[in-house]
Amino acid sequence: YFIQINLRMGDSLTFNIDNGYFDGLVRGFRSGILKRNDYHNLVECETLEDLKLHLQGTDYGPLLANDPSPLMVQTIDERLKERLVHEFTHIRNQCTAPLSEFLDYITYGYMIDNIILLITGTLRNRPITELLPRCHPLGRFDELATISIAQSPAELFNAVMVDTPLAPFFKECVQDENDLDEMNIEILRNKLYKTYLEDFYAFCMELGGTTAEVMCPILAFEADRRAITITINSFRTDLLKDDIENLYPRCGMLYPEGLKFLKNAEDREEVRRICERYGMYKDLHSGVGDGPNDKTLEDRFFQEEVKMLALGFMNSFHLGVFFAFVKLKEQENRNIVWIAECIAQKNKSKIDNYIPIF
Amino acid sequence: MAAHPSEGNKTLRSTEMNMVQMFLNQECAYDCVKELGELGVVQFLDLQRGTNVFQRSFVSELKRADELERKLRYLASQINDEGIEVPLEFEIPPAPNSTITDLDIDALTMSLETELREVNKNLSAMRNSYIDMIELKNVLIAADQFFAKGSIWSTQSVYSAEEGESSRHLNFVTGVLEREKIPLFDRVIWRSCRGNVFVKIVDILENMTDPDTSEEVEKSVFICFYQGEQLEKRVKKICDGLGARIYPCNEKASKRHEVRDQVTVRLSEIEDIIAQTVEYRTRQLNDMSMEIRGWIVKIKKWRAIYYTMSKFSVNEAHTGFLAEGWIRVSDIEEVRQALVRGAKTAGCAVMPILNRVGTSAVPPTFHYTNKLTHGYQVIIDAYGIASYQEINPAIFTVVTFPFLFGIMFGDMAHGLFLFLFGLYFVWKENYFEPRKQLMDEIVFMLYHGRYIVLMMGLFASYSGILYNEIYSKGFDIFGSSWRMPNDTTVYTSDDTVTLDPKYDYSDPYFYGIDPMWIMSDNLLTFMNSYKMKMAVILGLCQMTFGLFLSLINYKYFGKTLDIWFTFVPQLIFLQCIIGYMCFLIFYKWLFIDAGRDQPSIMLAMIDMFLSFGSDIEESDLIYEGQKYIQMILVVVALVMVPIMFAAKPLIEAYGKSQDTAEYEALSYDSDDDEMVQRERHEAQARLDMWVHQAIHTIEFCLGVISNTASYLRLWALSLAHSELSTVLWDMTLYYGFSSLDWDKGGFVLLFLVWAFWAVLTVTILLCMEGLSAFLHALRLHWVEFQNKFYGGDGFKFLPFSFSLILENEENLEEISNI
Repeated sequence: YFIQINLRMGDSLTFNIDNGYFDGLVRGFRSGILKRNDYHNLVECETLEDLKLHLQGTDYGPLLANDPSPLMVQTIDERLKERLVHEFTHIRNQCTAPLSEFLDYITYGYMIDNIILLITGTLRNRPITELLPRCHPLGRFDELATISIAQSPAELFNAVMVDTPLAPFFKECVQDENDLDEMNIEILRNKLYKTYLEDFYAFCMELGGTTAEVMCPILAFEADRRAITITINSFRTDLLKDDIENLYPRCGMLYPEGLKFLKNAEDREEVRRICERYGMYKDLHSGVGDGPNDKTLEDRFFQEEVKMLALGFMNSFHLGVFFAFVKLKEQENRNIVWIAECIAQKNKSKIDNYIPIF
Repeated sequence: MAAHPSEGNKTLRSTEMNMVQMFLNQECAYDCVKELGELGVVQFLDLQRGTNVFQRSFVSELKRADELERKLRYLASQINDEGIEVPLEFEIPPAPNSTITDLDIDALTMSLETELREVNKNLSAMRNSYIDMIELKNVLIAADQFFAKGSIWSTQSVYSAEEGESSRHLNFVTGVLEREKIPLFDRVIWRSCRGNVFVKIVDILENMTDPDTSEEVEKSVFICFYQGEQLEKRVKKICDGLGARIYPCNEKASKRHEVRDQVTVRLSEIEDIIAQTVEYRTRQLNDMSMEIRGWIVKIKKWRAIYYTMSKFSVNEAHTGFLAEGWIRVSDIEEVRQALVRGAKTAGCAVMPILNRVGTSAVPPTFHYTNKLTHGYQVIIDAYGIASYQEINPAIFTVVTFPFLFGIMFGDMAHGLFLFLFGLYFVWKENYFEPRKQLMDEIVFMLYHGRYIVLMMGLFASYSGILYNEIYSKGFDIFGSSWRMPNDTTVYTSDDTVTLDPKYDYSDPYFYGIDPMWIMSDNLLTFMNSYKMKMAVILGLCQMTFGLFLSLINYKYFGKTLDIWFTFVPQLIFLQCIIGYMCFLIFYKWLFIDAGRDQPSIMLAMIDMFLSFGSDIEESDLIYEGQKYIQMILVVVALVMVPIMFAAKPLIEAYGKSQDTAEYEALSYDSDDDEMVQRERHEAQARLDMWVHQAIHTIEFCLGVISNTASYLRLWALSLAHSELSTVLWDMTLYYGFSSLDWDKGGFVLLFLVWAFWAVLTVTILLCMEGLSAFLHALRLHWVEFQNKFYGGDGFKFLPFSFSLILENEENLEEISNI
């Protein structure tokens, strides 16, 4: 509590007492993030071996040194993840509240993804032993393995989730006795995410100071992204408008008026018009389309997100850098895997679709 | 043949370097580079800078080296895991030939690796089934307990239930789970089955090792009783999710015993097979362990050669390479011979060509060192590598560094211990040298600086003798020059006596401080005044010396302007202020009578500036005409400031303007744009120069005062050291000697007191104080001394040398092993 007060009073005064070391670490990790120049070189690689050779010259160093050739894209993906997790857990294992709590919040997002992955997998009758390794390592927890017994969200909560840190996010699903089919899983995911985001948002507000200044816009952006995606995905479903509104996280820029319009939107064009009323999302849809040179809306969101996260490093004395680091590193992993995939499949026409970070 | 000019003062300046170009034929390039690697005297330049790693030549060789190294690493880690000792000392093999065909290493490691992996796979499978068997055995044992007669879960009750109502038949499942997951398992089963499943847990006491991670795991047997298919499904799902192994277990005791017997047989079988496999594997690894280091070295050399060659530029016809690099002038003949040797080995008709080339690039810095100077060179290099061919302060540091340390650490005994400590390392050098890599970091550092420690100890003892100080006590060797007065009236009531130098003092004590002072009440006042003055005098000496070194640098590099307009005014400025102060100190020591009012040097210095031109009071007067001399000195010093600041840029600007006039006269029709560009550029350069000059002038002028003040740390640290040592003595041994009762076993207590004192002496006075004095000596050299002359913006000569590469790699390996 004392520390929280301090964070509110003047971050710069006391921040480094507890968080200075980790702040330094994470800023060091940040400078290891690949630059545009590195990407230019990576894109030019002809084989995955070349890619490995080039990565050796970057901060990744001997990342792949112990993997026998021929390299697989999957191995690269695994190593990259391993490394991120290693860096993350190194910080998580040593830090104190509120940073530890903050880092836990970051992992909750991955936990939710893992839960959904497993439920969807069991629904399709995949054995759990095959599904578990595909879970994101940042979101692993003991109870995860027993998820397959759940038949409904309520059961999921009562049997498995009740004493995990995710329990509070189930507050809207406790009574839900519906069977878990594809649609309900999607609803469950969005409900969980909604509560998670709102909770995280409130937590950052409570921390206050620069952390709130940096984190709240990022989370607000995330909330709006989910709202817009939900709307677009709901176009050809029989979901009721009010149910859709229930899924929207209420901590974004669009809340409350924008969401009201959004729930009544009937096609993409309408979504675009609603977005254009907001300065931040004015240019969001520019260049989006289905053509060969157009980007997907998802990519545009990623691009915007990367921009915001990179800016997070400009401020000092706040916890946002940790969030930004994890997310940027994740984006970088996506980029490398994308490039590696293009190289492996010998199809370089879309190789430039990565999102450079710095 | 006349000796090269650089031979004479090899240590004073860095060695002369030459840029050379080599044209290597394609056939002989590898062998030539190999020879050069063994020789280790050429620093190759990267002529492919800006090219992507994988676009360079020899990528495939480098990749192959990577792959081979990976395999070798795998083999080495296997050997390491098995706990087989790899012989420490071995002969370093020469590099393999260009395609490593003479090594056959590819096939060798390939077959070894695959075989080893195969064996490991089998072994791990075997161990897994061994664990399975153990688990099954435990399940059976546990089941026996559950179903034993008298227990409520005996088969009887199960069957009676079955007989009574077949729908209420109790099913059960048995299995094994990691112990850490048991609480979770329990909880989830309870919650999801709403308490309708009965779970019984028995811990397995045997230790099991996971063959994949070779970590110990603890496991428990569980038995769940449930009713109906619905629950069975759930329980199985939970078991599945948590990764429990389910073992079938019969309800009938006789059948269980049958299975158990089979298991026991199977267990002993597997044990045999495992033992055999392990033995086979160990034998193989043992064979490998003799060879592996040689292989690793060979591959490293091979890779290093190709890495170096990837820096070369290829000629248009792809028949040869052009390499550029730095070599020491004296090594050129050796390099030539190495190239010839390489060409001969390759059987190449075209001899490689070695050319010296002129270049404007700044060469790297290389200093010859020996065991003694090496440590000091490291200290200097830590601040900054000397610019090419400038005076190397390390040589002077060999004496001044331990000397300044000694001043701050002056105590005969403490110094002696330090000396002996250093001596031990020097003495046992031959023993320690091969074990360097195994040393702990701190010991390694001390070992590395053994000669520094040795000399620091020596000089500390020397100043201890000067201070007449041993454990804060003094001793009288030559007989004090003070006499106790015969006149008893001077003895006062409180057991003190005041000695008057006029009557009770004869010739000075033979060496160092008179022992009488050590016992006196005003020791501190006396010593402070003495050490303070000494600190300033030593500071002035070292700073002046530094200035003269800058003179040598200017002369060597032919910077006449700097001699007249930097060195001379700096010297005069320093001497007018600090030099004059030191003069006053000596004057006061020599000519001011002890009997009269003592004039204050401090006041004289302050008044010299603040009351410029005013008369000096009689009591403060040090010598006749002091006022006028001081006025002259102040004026001269102040005049030096604008000279330092403005003379050089003005003269250079004047020289340039004449050049430009000529240039303009010659090229009056040149492009306007170009002229504007050039002018802008020059204006920028001029501004830079003025700023630079201003900074340097300010820095020097302030430095004269602040650096001198900084030398006072010599006094402060020395005072701190002797005071600490006094306090320590008074607080411990003094009590031990004076207040313990000898008849009643006081000597035991005295021993304890002594032990306490000794431990504190070593930890605080030797280690802590020693470190602090070391750091202060370091600072005085890096800042106060070196800022007078040292540029320190060179870069180190790093030749392509196998021995250097192997040394570094070994360090890396050790780190990665941890």
